[in-house]
Amino acid sequence: MIRKQTPSKPILLFNDECAVCRVIARWVEKSAECQPGRSSITVRPIGSDPQILRTLNPGLDIWDAYANIHVLMPDGSMKTNGEAIAETLRRLPNTRWLARSFNVRLFGRRPFQAMLNVAYTVLADLRPLLGCESCGTPPPWLRPFHWITQRIKGRLNARNHTVTTTRLTTRHALTLTGRSDVI
Amino acid sequence: MPIAADFVKSVTGETFDSLVLASLNPVAVEFMSYGCEHCRLLEPVLQKVAKSLGSREEVLRVNTAIDKELANRYEIEGTPTLVMFFKGIEVGRVVGPDPSVQVLWNAVTRPFEELA
Repeated sequence: MIRKQTPSKPILLFNDECAVCRVIARWVEKSAECQPGRSSITVRPIGSDPQILRTLNPGLDIWDAYANIHVLMPDGSMKTNGEAIAETLRRLPNTRWLARSFNVRLFGRRPFQAMLNVAYTVLADLRPLLGCESCGTPPPWLRPFHWITQRIKGRLNARNHTVTTTRLTTRHALTLTGRSDVI
Repeated sequence: MPIAADFVKSVTGETFDSLVLASLNPVAVEFMSYGCEHCRLLEPVLQKVAKSLGSREEVLRVNTAIDKELANRYEIEGTPTLVMFFKGIEVGRVVGPDPSVQVLWNAVTRPFEELA
């Protein structure tokens, strides 16, 4: 059974396998610590356990958490993408003034929030080009640039897999799996 | 991605021997990581294939971020990697398959058909 945790302040989840996300998360953490009193947002890596993540919010799927940025609110709601960025900026002392602009309405719409949403989408799409191994292949409009960066790295074709750091020293898999007690 | 029925069961270092190596049926194990975008793209396709396979073949997953020892033991250098086992022996392996039903179906069934 999943026991839900109730956070006292918003939680910004970040992809700890992505260098770009790590840099942004570290900046948010530092900025939040500058706040007099206590920081108003918690920054934590998504991790690798879907069950632990569901204790924070039962509706949160780990695949979704990695696909785009999430801020988990203390009231149980979630903010994603540009809305999550705006919420994060709203919680930081040095960007609170900027975050106010995202609430500005013109003709029933929020133009600055819309611009932020586009900016987030572009940044998210750019991550594979900025050295994020686990972020997959970029969308079609960035493929020519991706092709160039792959060539610079000496790769002829884009990969369909993420290279992991786990590297074996000896190959003994077949010996292990070929044990007589399991055949 | 909505939380739906999971046709790909998770296997850990503790259960790997009993569920994979000791199994008398064909088993396909996906070595994956939730932080890997390629694995995310493969996931719905793998679910479809696992559902279609039914009891004919077991499809399991190993989270390499947690079970590093298993990833090391089977020389996993990238995710997703599919390793096919029959009676405890590795009979096939595919690294980073295209996320299409046909490609994945061939990847997880062909090694066993070649054995027959």
